[in-house]
Amino acid sequence: MPLFLSICCLVLISGFLYFFYLYPAAGLGPEQPISFSHRIHVGVKDIQCRFCHPNVGRSTFPGMPPVEKCLYCHRYVIPDHPEIRKEHQYFNSRTPIPWVKVNYLPEHVFFNHERHIKKEIECEACHGEVKTMDRLNKVTFRMGFCIECHREKKATLDCWLSCHN
Amino acid sequence: MKRRTFLKIAGMGGLSIATGCDSRPEKTLFSQVRTSDDQVAGRATWYASTCRECPAGCGILAKNIDGRIIKVEGNPMHPINKGKLCMRGQAALQGIYNPDRIKTPLLKEKNGWHPISLSQAQNLLKEKAQMASRRGQNRVRMLTEVAGEGLIGLFREALKRWDSDSLLLFEPYAYESLKTANEKIFGLEGLVSYRLQEADFLLSFGADFLETWLSPVEYARKFKQMHALKNGEKGLFVHVSPFQSMTGANADLWVSCAPGTEATIALGLIHEALKEGRGVDLPKNIRTTLEKVALPYNKERVIESSGLVPEIYERIITRLFRSSKPLILGTSTGGSGNHTLQANMATNLLNFVLDPSLTLIDFTNRHRIEKAARRSDVLDFFEALDRNPTDLLMLNNVNPVHSLTEASQVRSALEKETLFVVSFSNFMDETTSLADLILPVSLPLETWDEYGGWSSIVSTLQPTMGGLNNGPHLGDVLLEAAWGSEKPAKNYQTYLTALLQRSEKIRGEKDWLKALQVGGIFDVPAQPNPSRPEKISDGFDILFFPIPKRDKSGFVFLATPSIRFFDGRGANKSWLCEIPSPLTKVAWHTPVMIHPDTLTTMKVKQGDVINIQSQWGNIEAPVYETEGVRPGVLAMEIGQGHEAYGRYAEGIGLNPNALLSPDTEPNSGAPRFTVNGVDITKTGNTLKLARTDGSRIQHGRKIALTTDLRTLHQPETHSTPGLAMHEFPLTLPIPEGYDRKRDFYPPHEHNTYRWAMTVDLDRCIGCGACTAACYAENNVGVTGMQGVLQQREMAWLWIERYLDPEQMDKITFLPMLCQHCDNAPCESVCPVYAPHHSKEGLNNQIYNRCIGTRFCSQNCPYKARRFNWFEWEWPDPLHLQLNPDVTVRSKGVMEKCSFCVQRIKEAHGRAKDETRQIRDGEVKPACVQTCPTGVFTFGNLVDKESRVRKMVEDTRAYQVMGYLNTKPAVIYLKKVVQEV
Repeated sequence: MPLFLSICCLVLISGFLYFFYLYPAAGLGPEQPISFSHRIHVGVKDIQCRFCHPNVGRSTFPGMPPVEKCLYCHRYVIPDHPEIRKEHQYFNSRTPIPWVKVNYLPEHVFFNHERHIKKEIECEACHGEVKTMDRLNKVTFRMGFCIECHREKKATLDCWLSCHN
Repeated sequence: MKRRTFLKIAGMGGLSIATGCDSRPEKTLFSQVRTSDDQVAGRATWYASTCRECPAGCGILAKNIDGRIIKVEGNPMHPINKGKLCMRGQAALQGIYNPDRIKTPLLKEKNGWHPISLSQAQNLLKEKAQMASRRGQNRVRMLTEVAGEGLIGLFREALKRWDSDSLLLFEPYAYESLKTANEKIFGLEGLVSYRLQEADFLLSFGADFLETWLSPVEYARKFKQMHALKNGEKGLFVHVSPFQSMTGANADLWVSCAPGTEATIALGLIHEALKEGRGVDLPKNIRTTLEKVALPYNKERVIESSGLVPEIYERIITRLFRSSKPLILGTSTGGSGNHTLQANMATNLLNFVLDPSLTLIDFTNRHRIEKAARRSDVLDFFEALDRNPTDLLMLNNVNPVHSLTEASQVRSALEKETLFVVSFSNFMDETTSLADLILPVSLPLETWDEYGGWSSIVSTLQPTMGGLNNGPHLGDVLLEAAWGSEKPAKNYQTYLTALLQRSEKIRGEKDWLKALQVGGIFDVPAQPNPSRPEKISDGFDILFFPIPKRDKSGFVFLATPSIRFFDGRGANKSWLCEIPSPLTKVAWHTPVMIHPDTLTTMKVKQGDVINIQSQWGNIEAPVYETEGVRPGVLAMEIGQGHEAYGRYAEGIGLNPNALLSPDTEPNSGAPRFTVNGVDITKTGNTLKLARTDGSRIQHGRKIALTTDLRTLHQPETHSTPGLAMHEFPLTLPIPEGYDRKRDFYPPHEHNTYRWAMTVDLDRCIGCGACTAACYAENNVGVTGMQGVLQQREMAWLWIERYLDPEQMDKITFLPMLCQHCDNAPCESVCPVYAPHHSKEGLNNQIYNRCIGTRFCSQNCPYKARRFNWFEWEWPDPLHLQLNPDVTVRSKGVMEKCSFCVQRIKEAHGRAKDETRQIRDGEVKPACVQTCPTGVFTFGNLVDKESRVRKMVEDTRAYQVMGYLNTKPAVIYLKKVVQEV
């Protein structure tokens, strides 16, 4: 009996360790409705972040590219790739793509992309090496991370005026 | 292991299993299929349009973020409202996002309503109309609200195609007596506008021009141009009526007269004026007629009849004749008795006698509401439905079942078997529920249209967002139904532009686009309309039969228009129900207002439910005690008591129309909003009213202060500043205000900005527009009737009204909000530092830090902090209105006014982009933006040149309960009172 219990425990623990560290998708971001690769677009093709996220310098949100924007290129570039076909399907049926949100801030935090971009903070400073990631990896934002940088750069540390209005 | 630790670990373990080791909810980011050019995610786009919440037609700007409008504000370029908006206008959003909005066309069958498709509904309408027109003339009829020229023209043309000319423009408040008075005296059947701003003496016989009368936002602005303190002077305003409306509460003198005696008083004043030698230049025939008409009304007769205090009547006469530019306004919408027409005619004549050139009356800018049909015609219309065979009746945004009296047989007319009723309404109100087909069309904020509130302007409407129920435009429905494939225009929008082009208001597409950008065309050359009528007819005397002495027996019941619900159309909007009535401070309920003397004789007290019985019906109403009505008069606001109309209206409050007579006044066709000789009986029941005021008086504390105009300029008798209530000096919330002897804490440093606000009590009329704007901007929760009863209302900014204990009909309104104190009592008691003093002086409430001890609220002398007892509900789709720039607070968290910090941040962003400082006046919190009378000034106290800093130096400046040394950043300016 004790043997059985310890084997059970061992299996559970090793299973947990496997799924956490060794499973092929470990360290990847959430699966998306279309397997879009940031690595290929940013790393290999060297497309600027702002081409797809044009609002980043003029709004709170960077903006998600509309479906039609993907097809600007993909009407000509690998148009028959199964993943691109999905894209065409969304466009033809006038359906928005339900991308899964990767990065998340609680509702009482207001982060303004515009101000940070205008202060020439690099996208990578918060989002990591996007150009190496196929599926975008989530970054866990904690208040200390913001505060540290705000202190260093002598930005405002006021609660409402910076984040929590 | 301790018990606590065990519970913690067990809890955490359970949670992590439940959420899959991740505390973050998975959310979806939808990408659009295509984007429009003017849409930047997270940034607002503003669309100019026209408010259609009442017939005034104010210009608005709608703020659209990510495809949803989240706020409407006044359009600063619009000549009617000049950037300001009332609470009903602010609440237009809750019409669009109303949870009880009808989403699809509905067809009534034996077992209830059945949803049908839009094309089915349209075909049915077309079929019914064609069938009816084949059967004979006038078998298709239409009842509509007052709409713009374009729609009305289209209605007429469509009806013509169906061989009918039966179109009626119905508005419950149609100003029949005023219209007839203008016709009889000025020879102009319409509603002229008034140049209130140029008058120095204003006498109103009940016209509630700050609430609903003609164009309230416009007149509120003009009134304060005349009545606010300017160079040490201010105009005088006297209000004579049996019921002190909010307008009467803003008068320098409210005189209570017996109901129905306004005409007597006005004629008496003509009598005195002629005696004074006024009007000698008048044409002989008019003068003779006038003399004849006014002859019987000497002082004794007037005083005897109206019940005025003789001395007060004398004072009014003296001040009236002393003034150089007097303006007399007529009765309120409903008047107060049988002689409303005579009262309005007499006020017109009085204006004419005092100023024969009538310079203060604008005959060019006439109010569009003048197009509304008289009540007598409305009743005839319903009678004709009965008398003449009619097959199809179309209803456009009208609710006659609620607005007309029970006795007027509207219900039975609509219920007739042979009549097919189509309602284009979006809400299941009393009238719509009697329809056979409901075809919900798009609402004004979702469509193209034109509606000029003044006859001289073009004011455009455009879709400010995509339609929520995908309703078609009413114009398109009719084009399709009446013309089918032979449409005169592709759609209503092209029909409208063609019409505007034909009437030479625009020259082409470019002009139309320009008009849309601005919100209209405001410099249309005036039509050749004489500035004043050529001749004043003298045939008016026959209407002035000697007014009989009043019958003093029994009670008189008055139904009065409501600033919150107008005629009842606002009753399904939760903000308007939650914001209390300006005078009674009662939310949700509809009390009947009675004078304390009457209550004593009847042995009834506030909160008792009484039964009011008139010849035509009865209601059981809770009593509210007020000195603002004449003894013997019962007053009740119109607007609530709906039998249907959605969750916020149904079964809430009372409808005074149940008591009213269905008769109309024979000469003007005006409805009677007054019933004489009603009976009252006690029911023995009581009802706790949902009041938001704790007390009606200030109990001698330094809250809402007034100062007399005469002593304003006398050098102050210097009392040495001390620590007592009235000696405590004004202490600014900046380092200069620090005094070692008084202060425990060191001063706060404010280098560039210290935000502060001044509130000029002399300008506040108590209308509550600021409160509504604040609800909209800051996602303030609505607690409902039960919440208000438990004093859990959440308003960040509200109007306190205080009565003068010496003279209980003298009222001071005071907007109360977080005072953003320099020495804030809330900050020092919080165990977790959730209230926090910002470097720009704001008192920040950090929601995520708050643990809900409520110590801060306990320690706040202004009671400006609100606690979230519950998660407030925003029933779908009301949540779409929420401002994405403001956190939605959750249960257990304290909240309060933030000076609209999101707007300050936005200004900071702009200033940083342009490497400059924020300009004075650049930040406008929602209340500042919307206030029709300019009560609030917001700015930076550190900047010595700022407007707010300069106003602080005014001798009237004081701080509410400043003697507590809280050093508030909201600085009030005393109200200036004057004796008449």
